[in-house]
Amino acid sequence: MSMPKTITRREFLKIAAGASIATGFTSAVRSIVIEPFIYPPEEELPGQATWYASTCRQCAAGCGIIVRTIDGRAKKIEGNPLHPLNRGKLCARGQAGLQVLYNPDRLKNAVRQVGGRGSRQFEPFYWPDALDLLSSKIAALSSTERFAFLGGLMPSHTYRLTSLLLEALGAAPPVIYDLQSALEGRSAVSQLSQALFGAPDLPEYDLSQSDVVLSFGANLLETWMSPVAQSVAYGAMRQGSMGRRGLLVQFEPRLSSTAASADEWVPVQPGAEGFVALAIGRIIVEERLGHVGSHQSQAVLYQNVDVRDMSAASDVPVDTLRHLARVFADADRAVAIPGGYLSGQQNGFSSMLAVQALNLVIAQVGRQGGMFLSNPGPTAALRQNPPVNTFDEVMDLIRRMKAGEIDLLLLHSANPLYELPAAAGFFEAIARVPFVVSFSPVVDETAVWADLILPDHTYLESWGYQVPSPGADRPVVNSQQPVVSPLYDTLATSDVLLGLAARLGGKLAAALSWRDEASYLEETVSELHGSSLGAYSARTPSGFWALWRQYGGWWSEKQIRREPELTDIVQKPLLIAEPHFEGDPQDYPFHLYPYSSITLSDGRGANLPWLQETPDPMTTVQWGMWVEINPETAEGLGISDNDVVQVESPHGSMEASVVIYPGIRPDIVAIPVGQGHQDYGRFAQAVIGSNPMALVAPVTDPDTGALAWGATRVRLKPIGKKQVLARLESLDGNGRESLG
Amino acid sequence: MTRRLLLFFSILILAAVLVTRAQVLASPEQPVAFNHQIHAQAGVQCLFCHSSALRADIAGIPSMQKCMGCHTIIATDNVAVQVLTSYWKRKEPIPWVRVSWQPEFVYFSHQAHLRTGENCETCHGDVGRMPLTRPAVKMDMGWCLDCHLLQPEEKVVRLADCLTCHK
Ligand code: SF4
Repeated sequence: MSMPKTITRREFLKIAAGASIATGFTSAVRSIVIEPFIYPPEEELPGQATWYASTCRQCAAGCGIIVRTIDGRAKKIEGNPLHPLNRGKLCARGQAGLQVLYNPDRLKNAVRQVGGRGSRQFEPFYWPDALDLLSSKIAALSSTERFAFLGGLMPSHTYRLTSLLLEALGAAPPVIYDLQSALEGRSAVSQLSQALFGAPDLPEYDLSQSDVVLSFGANLLETWMSPVAQSVAYGAMRQGSMGRRGLLVQFEPRLSSTAASADEWVPVQPGAEGFVALAIGRIIVEERLGHVGSHQSQAVLYQNVDVRDMSAASDVPVDTLRHLARVFADADRAVAIPGGYLSGQQNGFSSMLAVQALNLVIAQVGRQGGMFLSNPGPTAALRQNPPVNTFDEVMDLIRRMKAGEIDLLLLHSANPLYELPAAAGFFEAIARVPFVVSFSPVVDETAVWADLILPDHTYLESWGYQVPSPGADRPVVNSQQPVVSPLYDTLATSDVLLGLAARLGGKLAAALSWRDEASYLEETVSELHGSSLGAYSARTPSGFWALWRQYGGWWSEKQIRREPELTDIVQKPLLIAEPHFEGDPQDYPFHLYPYSSITLSDGRGANLPWLQETPDPMTTVQWGMWVEINPETAEGLGISDNDVVQVESPHGSMEASVVIYPGIRPDIVAIPVGQGHQDYGRFAQAVIGSNPMALVAPVTDPDTGALAWGATRVRLKPIGKKQVLARLESLDGNGRESLG
Repeated sequence: MTRRLLLFFSILILAAVLVTRAQVLASPEQPVAFNHQIHAQAGVQCLFCHSSALRADIAGIPSMQKCMGCHTIIATDNVAVQVLTSYWKRKEPIPWVRVSWQPEFVYFSHQAHLRTGENCETCHGDVGRMPLTRPAVKMDMGWCLDCHLLQPEEKVVRLADCLTCHK
């Protein structure tokens, strides 16, 4: 063995320098691959942005969007600055819409389930064969009553085509249900409008011009109804003009982020919100507050109301009620809003009526800063929008399915296995239906039980229109257009319906005679051409069609507010039943309060990582779910933060980590909905959590048939485990430093 | 010892420069033997295929649909065209190897250069005579400035400003 030659430090450096020069030069040559388009996107200039106007479909609000596309790819969604509803603003859910388009768990073609329903073994299916199979199933029905269609937040035109198809077949109209609508009380609000004003259209509150807003459980700035429009109006109300700053009072048992933005938060006893409204009304009438006059004609409404009883029932001191009544009645412009939580009680309708009556008492119905009715669609076709059915109607469908009366079930934008209370029995019901077809773009909990999945395009690839409800301060029709060509071999459900009609022929083909979805839309929308109201005018129908897409819709140039006309329901004494709750208070000491998450809403956002990553504004939890309890309650049960508890109701149980939250009544257990997905893609399934709908009792408000989702009692039990939640801020509030 | 080492390094550096230069200016191997010369001789204008050079920063390469617009009938017996057609049938994009490029930290605009009356050949050389496309020059900053500094005096201030190209 020879001695190795020693290298001096100097020599080493020289060699190293030489080596690096040599390698440095060779690496200067690199190879970059550039791929051409196979088919170039329309109007595309490489590297240059093209903006398309369309409509957000992440919730029912229908905000106008503009989408930046480069090289045929959608890159960024912004609010449409021209749109009268959201005026250029957009919420986090709207921003995250790109991940609906690019979601890696999307179905890339039509599929059929080959290992039996529930096997999750899917096999690609050729579209024409899928349509042949489905039309043969329809043709083979022994009676068209055995055909059912369950929808959720469906595009309006798809809903209308579905309705026409079912009508021509002689089948029952589609049943529409989704959890978000249930949580915001959409069907109850619509029934309230019908009772009070003789029209089913939703109220539109003129927040921006209001001096005092009493919000009874409406989380205006989060998910309720039209949160972006309401946030814009809230901004104007707080700092719109110099020296004016509106007052917001929020009545709800838990401090939501809307309540946190309010001047006063009144944690009312669950189910007693209506009592507060009755007491305030009584005080105004009795003490002749405000500037409306004697209130003589309204005395009848409150003749049975005792303020002290109402105070006791609602946990709100008489002094507070008096103070609020004065502030409300003395304001130049004030408005009371019956919102989500009270609609989820068994006395929901009468509570909401009592709240709406406050607007009558101070004569703010149809007045600036008060309440108006949403404008309906400007043409007959545009007025046919998906109405939200009541829970009772859904239960009726479930009953028919369980009884074996349904042979064919079609599902669009609906995920009932996730969104209905488990105790409603949809699982047993769907098992009894011989053939199930889902139009979902991803495999969700319900699609797992389908024979066929015929994925619709996602909304950034789709055509459509929507009359937003609640609307803006003028008639509006949103337009929706593809901002990119469909990424995969998916097919617009409207085209599937037209294809089915053509195959089945006869009456169906006559009722749905359009060549394709786009020609249906062009025809329907052309009825707006020539209207003298429009913000733009076009000489030809094709010119109108172009402007309709460029603007992102059609709307009136001027403000046109719809003043409601009163029916005689408000001439009888107001009466609110005691709230009922499922579960014995001895066994189940707490009220369950499931609430719509500001990020995931009712769970439809759970498959989007951007939304999972967005911290909840109140708890700062990310990628997780939790149970909120009051510190007092936690101490009583010996629970600390991050302890896993079992929450149990008479109908089911679930486990989750605890967040000790001072902004909640001690008798309330609040749980955000949206997590706990068994299916719905990798991101939704990655989060540890359960679906609180397992706990909810399938009970309704007898006045409306709406789901009383807030009427369940629960109990809590620590299971002796800790599961630390990921939070942006530490529990002691010192976490902000780590962001510095 | 030091002198010999110095000489050795000088030769090494020179060799590296020459090798690199040759590599930089060679025509890269392409998946389809595209021939600019034939197309130019047939009278096809640069802008017919690189159609956004006048309207955008990027000149663009033609979509496969555009290639097939002609080659469904023209020169279908040519081997390169057959390779193109096989990509088209598989609906697969051809992974072309880029011939000319600027690094990511340079903001270059074709549109701005063509507006001043420059033509394609100024930078890309006589592509119309290249059976296989190769870079005509090494597009480094010194080469850009060679031209920018020759411009009329009132323009040079802006054209020699760092932030004009490095935003
Ligand atoms: S409020 Fe609804 S429609 Fe508007 S941006 Fe948010 S998710 Fe979209």
